[in-house]
Amino acid sequence: MDWTPDALAELRALLGDDGVLDSEAARFSYEADALALERGLPDVVALPRSTDEVAALVRWAHAYGVPVTPRGAGTGLAGGSTAHRGGMLLVLSRMDQVLSLDPERMFAWVQPGLVNARLSELAAPHGLHFAPDPSSQPVSTIGGNVAANAGGPHCLKHGVTANHVLGLVVVLHDGSVVTLGGEAPDAPDAELASVLAGSEGTLGILCEICVRLVPRPEAVHTMSFDFAVVEDACRAVSAVIAAGIVPAAMELMDRQTMEVVEAWLHLGLPLDAAAVLIVEVDGPAVSLPAQVERITAITREHGARGVRVASGAAERAALWRGRKSSFGAYGRTGRAFYLMDGTVPRSRLAEAVATVYALAGARGLRAGILLHAGDGNLHPHILFDADDETQRQAAFEVSQEILRACLRLGGTISGEHGIGLEKISMMSEVYAPADLQTMGRLRRAFDPGGLLNPGKMLPEVRPA
Amino acid sequence: MSAGPAPLDSARYAIAGVEPLSVWRPATREEAAEVLRAAALDRLRVVPWGGGASLARERAPERYDLALDLTALDRVVEYQPEDMTLTAECGVTLGTLRAALAARGQELPLEGARPERATLGGLLAANASGPRRLRFGAPRDRILGARFALGDGTLARTGGRVVKNVAGYAVHRLLCGSRGGLAVLLEASLKLAPAPARRVALVFGVDARALGDAARWAALPRLEPALLTVAGQALAGTLPVASPTDPFTVIAGFEDDHARVDQQVAAVERLLGEPDARLEDDSAAALWQALADLEDRDGARLTFTSPANTPAALAPLFDQPEAAVAALFHAAAGRLHVFPARTAARDLVELLARAGFSLIEAVAGTPDSAGVAALEPVIAPQAAVLSLRARLRQALDPAGVLAFGPRWEQGCP
Repeated sequence: MDWTPDALAELRALLGDDGVLDSEAARFSYEADALALERGLPDVVALPRSTDEVAALVRWAHAYGVPVTPRGAGTGLAGGSTAHRGGMLLVLSRMDQVLSLDPERMFAWVQPGLVNARLSELAAPHGLHFAPDPSSQPVSTIGGNVAANAGGPHCLKHGVTANHVLGLVVVLHDGSVVTLGGEAPDAPDAELASVLAGSEGTLGILCEICVRLVPRPEAVHTMSFDFAVVEDACRAVSAVIAAGIVPAAMELMDRQTMEVVEAWLHLGLPLDAAAVLIVEVDGPAVSLPAQVERITAITREHGARGVRVASGAAERAALWRGRKSSFGAYGRTGRAFYLMDGTVPRSRLAEAVATVYALAGARGLRAGILLHAGDGNLHPHILFDADDETQRQAAFEVSQEILRACLRLGGTISGEHGIGLEKISMMSEVYAPADLQTMGRLRRAFDPGGLLNPGKMLPEVRPA
Repeated sequence: MSAGPAPLDSARYAIAGVEPLSVWRPATREEAAEVLRAAALDRLRVVPWGGGASLARERAPERYDLALDLTALDRVVEYQPEDMTLTAECGVTLGTLRAALAARGQELPLEGARPERATLGGLLAANASGPRRLRFGAPRDRILGARFALGDGTLARTGGRVVKNVAGYAVHRLLCGSRGGLAVLLEASLKLAPAPARRVALVFGVDARALGDAARWAALPRLEPALLTVAGQALAGTLPVASPTDPFTVIAGFEDDHARVDQQVAAVERLLGEPDARLEDDSAAALWQALADLEDRDGARLTFTSPANTPAALAPLFDQPEAAVAALFHAAAGRLHVFPARTAARDLVELLARAGFSLIEAVAGTPDSAGVAALEPVIAPQAAVLSLRARLRQALDPAGVLAFGPRWEQGCP
């Protein structure tokens, strides 16, 4: 858009000079989120501090017809907070306060820019925590977690972010401010709040969030099992669930992933194994030994070899360290890779994993897999040489084929990263035209002018 | 079309005494869509109908021409125990689902009154939640995806059947609680839970003073009870265990493995003393069902939600003793049902609003208790939310085919 000095002056009057960035250097530093392949330069970056300021900014954008793209910490992996149509990038990271915390009734009102892990730190003295724990939790924000309906290793037992949102204060497309839901479990308009979870910033700007806090587990045991065959590990996961045990987390790393991690951190991971499965149980101390025993027996029946069990914090951290470092370890190799986020029914995991290797192998590419196995959520990494255009294209095609395989197995193309820009072209493979048109109608009802994070998540569908 | 105007007695489909002009009972999703398309052309107003258990006691919508009976859509489409998810058509009864799941040691931990009759669709459309709401969530927390028909007969689907899914808008969550006013739910996928190894109910008779003593109950929420429910004396006769002499009965329920339940029970007994009664396993489950069935009791019902999570939150109600003894409070879930005398309803809603309880549902029960129906929300709805609701209804049901649409749009209880 054409910036008039007057329009910018209005913005500066709203936020002060330090809240409005329009220098080229500042705009370039916000041109992408963690999906670095997609870039888009915002025309202006706004850094509000309050709900009122967000409302004023959205009213301003509404009046001038300027696209608004909200952004938290920018850890999204699907390009959801890239301002690829220019306009205003609404950076919510300065809205990072806990507004209130009620330890008796176990909820907190927070601002969207609050870092996920920080909330649990603040709730810890009350014996509480915020359960959703995406791997990005040391940096990602709760607003971003809600917008992406984030998961994390422990959502197997404790549920995804949407299950922990009680209420929202939202700035709608025209700058009006509404409260949807609230502190009570079924407060009025909670159904509208439930649609904003996972809506990737396209329906409204989340300004205040009431989240449920839950008691910290009294005890935690972490187990690690080695498998000679990856598919056996997957079948063990299904068998544990079928036995009526819901561990807090079940995470799988394959050999490729272990090699990458080992090359960096030298943790002594079992490189002779095809996969390592980490299973964590949490809850009352009295319940856990029996669960550990049953899980160990079931995994042994499915071919688990080495078993390590840790209950102390330091030992547990050591078992988790490899898993939690794996994304960074892939990044550190300097090799290019596509990271996928597909989901299949848990009973189809073994097939899905075999398919990933077969598809990559057929193109002469290497694949490394991380699995939130208990949830059927796969994160394959397809490695390629960035200087080799043929390889890059092959890796891209393999990654699309993997997502198609997830669909064929009854799953979907995103478990927790979202659609953003990255997967928008595949939405028409997930949904029929009528499904997408229905979602489009819902979107236009929230955002008649089409200015909230335009071009994300839903492909343009012609009305029927 | 093969689906009749079925030779069905339209009196069976009466809402507050108002009968529809015709009743259709489609056998497939496509037939249901066809009925809606035809209704849209003829400008008829449609009510999707499940077991009819709660609809019969609703207030009648402004116009009610056609009942769309969905009970023939009753297949379990997919159930893999190792996925711990289930996909079923919405006309299936809760009773049928429970039996299928129990055989594999799993359950759908959502409660509705009269499970032998109540359908999955009805449960979802009401976002019904029983005493175990805190632990297991409401339908909106357990639904993974759905197929539904819009008012114009468009068949659509959102979500899926996997437990993690952020591909597209969760219209299926929006439809939970929409009471058939926004779209017609036809099939849903849900997250299940393992059946607990053990259930125990501890039952205590208490007087008003003990009930209102906040310190007495303060430690209970941290014990993570499956339910913590208060029933007033007027309801005691309908429960398998309840003190007929004490003004209130408090039920603390626990579900988990044996060791944990023993520990929880011991902790409660340290806090509250020996219980007056104790039920285990199937008897405890029967008590949960009896509590859920209470919601369907004859007469008017007002339902409130509150962030409060202990029995003491009921204390403000002591100002209206007649209402207090006709209250059912699922404290752990913050959900309060009161079965009021007609005349007192308005005062009651205001009294409870001051104590942090928001009215979320008002059921007339019988045509002569219509006074309850006229309750305006005590907290005025937000103007911007009302216009958003109007736009959403216009988007999903532009012809206004669904008879309960206006009520959804007004967001009124």
